[in-house]
Amino acid sequence: MHIDLKKEIKESGPGKTGLIILLLMIAVALLAPILAPYDPYQQSIASLLPPSWQHWLGMNHVGQDIWSQLLYGARTSLLVGFGVGILSTLLGTIFGVSAALIGGLYEKVVMRIVDAFIVIPMVIIIILVAAYIRPSILTLILLLSLLSWQGGARIMRAQALSLKERGHVAAARSFGANHFYIAWRHIVPDLGPILLVDFIYSVRRAVFMEAGLAFLGITDPTVVSWGMMMRDALSFSYLNVWQWWLVPTGVALSLTIVGLTFIGHAAEPVIEPRLRGVEIA
Amino acid sequence: MLEIKDLRVSYGQDIILNRIDLEVEAGGTLAIVGESGTGKTTLGLSIMRLVEGTVQGTIRFDGKDLLELPDREMQRIRWSEIAMVFQNANNVLNPVYTVLNQIMEPMIEHGLKSREEARDRAMELLRYFGLPRERLSAYPHQLSGGEQQRVLLAMALANNPKLLILDEPLSSLDAVARGEVVDLLKEIDRHCTKLVATHDLDTADKLSDRMAVLYGGKIIEVGPTQDVLSRPMHPYTRALVRAYPNMTTVKDLQGIKGRMTRPVAGCSFHPRCTQAIDICRTKTPRLVWTQGRHIACHRGGIITLLSTRNITKSFGLLKAVDSVNLYIEAGETLALVGQTGSGKTTLAKTIMGLHRPTEGAVYFEDVKVDNRGKDFYNRVQMVFQNPGESLSHRLSVLEAVMEPLDVQEVGTKEERESKAIQVLGEVEIPQTKDFLNKYPHHLSGGEMQRVAIARALVLDPVLLIADEPTAFLDASVQAKILKLLLNLQEQRGLSMLYITHDIAAARKVSDRIAVMLNGKIIEESATSEIVTAPKQAYTRSLLRAASALHSIESSEWP
Repeated sequence: MHIDLKKEIKESGPGKTGLIILLLMIAVALLAPILAPYDPYQQSIASLLPPSWQHWLGMNHVGQDIWSQLLYGARTSLLVGFGVGILSTLLGTIFGVSAALIGGLYEKVVMRIVDAFIVIPMVIIIILVAAYIRPSILTLILLLSLLSWQGGARIMRAQALSLKERGHVAAARSFGANHFYIAWRHIVPDLGPILLVDFIYSVRRAVFMEAGLAFLGITDPTVVSWGMMMRDALSFSYLNVWQWWLVPTGVALSLTIVGLTFIGHAAEPVIEPRLRGVEIA
Repeated sequence: MLEIKDLRVSYGQDIILNRIDLEVEAGGTLAIVGESGTGKTTLGLSIMRLVEGTVQGTIRFDGKDLLELPDREMQRIRWSEIAMVFQNANNVLNPVYTVLNQIMEPMIEHGLKSREEARDRAMELLRYFGLPRERLSAYPHQLSGGEQQRVLLAMALANNPKLLILDEPLSSLDAVARGEVVDLLKEIDRHCTKLVATHDLDTADKLSDRMAVLYGGKIIEVGPTQDVLSRPMHPYTRALVRAYPNMTTVKDLQGIKGRMTRPVAGCSFHPRCTQAIDICRTKTPRLVWTQGRHIACHRGGIITLLSTRNITKSFGLLKAVDSVNLYIEAGETLALVGQTGSGKTTLAKTIMGLHRPTEGAVYFEDVKVDNRGKDFYNRVQMVFQNPGESLSHRLSVLEAVMEPLDVQEVGTKEERESKAIQVLGEVEIPQTKDFLNKYPHHLSGGEMQRVAIARALVLDPVLLIADEPTAFLDASVQAKILKLLLNLQEQRGLSMLYITHDIAAARKVSDRIAVMLNGKIIEESATSEIVTAPKQAYTRSLLRAASALHSIESSEWP
């Protein structure tokens, strides 16, 4: 019964690696203002400079310090990632658990909506919507969350359906407890580990989506983002700037996603204990 | 023959008898039953006009109002037409008269017989009551208690009274002598009306055809003796029956909570009654006629707390519960007995609203229960079958017991905590901080079950549905828990639906047993009847299979 998520992650090699990477990225994002030698938005006439002692990764096309931009990019990435992670897990839990507890027509409606969203290719919708509304960071978080809670809701519902048959839930009902009380005191606490796995996968997806949308140029252009940096770098592909502009950005993004994937994979046995012992191929 | 109306007797401020209405037909025997101090003797003495206090009302005997008669006339009637056998034989007999003279006295006194006739009559009576011939000239202090009692009976019958008042006539006799005297008293039944004041239900059962239950100076129930004893309608009468050791009932003895206090406003029994409501505290109930007897209770006697009417619960094609009609009265235990899979738990869960019935409905205090809100669960609670499962592994002992209070939003957190701790004390769970913070997996099966019971009791429910509450426990712990539940019934008037497969355990705790088989109730009756005279073959097989420990019965001492 008691699933120790911490133990699950710590005992897996990739899990540990992922955790270290993620913690590193979080540290970078939090400490960006201290670590960054320059203001990433400060433009100068010294454009497209190669790395030097003053500018470790050189300067971009409008004379901004790429190293500083890279550090600040982690902020955007993780802010969107965790924002969406929290929000979509929350939505998934609310809808999944309520569907399981309330049942009836409500459950049917919610679950058909979930099915519909899972069938429709999300990326296309996001691109279309994002292209129209040119989202700020906050709108982007909301948009991504609204489109990504459905998978989680499905898992939560399935789990809640089994949890609500437990004796202590029946007992709580026999004290006159309402759905909310039961969800909050008896179902959600037992969903804990699953919530975390769902959360981590949501974060990963959101980080990836944010980078992709920025790369396509349909996010807020005034905010530094790894996706946007890669897009800018690519337009100067005829120069050798990709070595210090494109590659470090790509590596940072990849590391973040790989880190999250490792953690998620290590924690997955929580959802599906049969996976225990399966190593990453 | 004897008709008492609105009789009130008081000593100064103390009201001993309050508005007594009674009737005894000629040749009938009425038992006045009640605890000591309830006014039985005073009632007898009032009829004899030997009470020193103030007496009001009317006592009509043979068309005459005894209370209005001049003293001379009363003196004539006393001991000739109305005689009384006093409770305390030792004090009543004159120590300087021999037994024979003692009995001759009333006859000679009333001038009914000559000395010779009186002597013959006295000897005849004493022989009738089985006093040895050589004891006739003994003095009262030389007699045993039982012999004194016989002398008193002989004395009372000396003048062939029309009305005989017997005050605890059998109390100083041993069981065998009792049997003899009962037979003798029955013999004289035919021509003599009798009033038997007693606290002993067996005496009432053996001697009377009708009985009146007296409590706190008031009549609370009157009816044919057999009916009243087999199906008491007033909570006090039932409590009396339950407290009385006898060979018929099989349930463990139960006392009555509290002590008799008087005077009290409202119903005299309300401080000890487990179904008292506001009106019982303020208004005195009148004796009214219902269902073949008189009863004085604002609630119309013992109420039916919960009933199921044609409850059916199907799972697909399977009818787990099939048109079940059951009722549970306030303060009683109904045992639901049946093998695993007979639908007992499904029925319990349907009553609790954890399953929706396919057909039929549950009625609480005769009101149909549709949506169970907090007020329903406040009064009906369930102890689930498996405490390990029904206690959340995330809640400590204290938190688990507080949970119902949290849900019902009772009082402040401190109040809830102290209430939970108090109830844990009632179920004999150590109230140390260390224990209160334990989690279910730290507890033994017995401890878990107690915590589960405490949790169900913390809301002070009036009905407890206990689903195999002792299934996981060894016999000694089971005995403790069953005792605990019975105790709660005595103290709080808790009604119980006790679900079990163990008819031996059910026999000790239940008033009635319902036997369930394949979702149907096949037999339902008083526990003693089910155990001794089951009607269904299945019930007989359950009884045969029940634990009996035959070795105890058949073993012989060397």
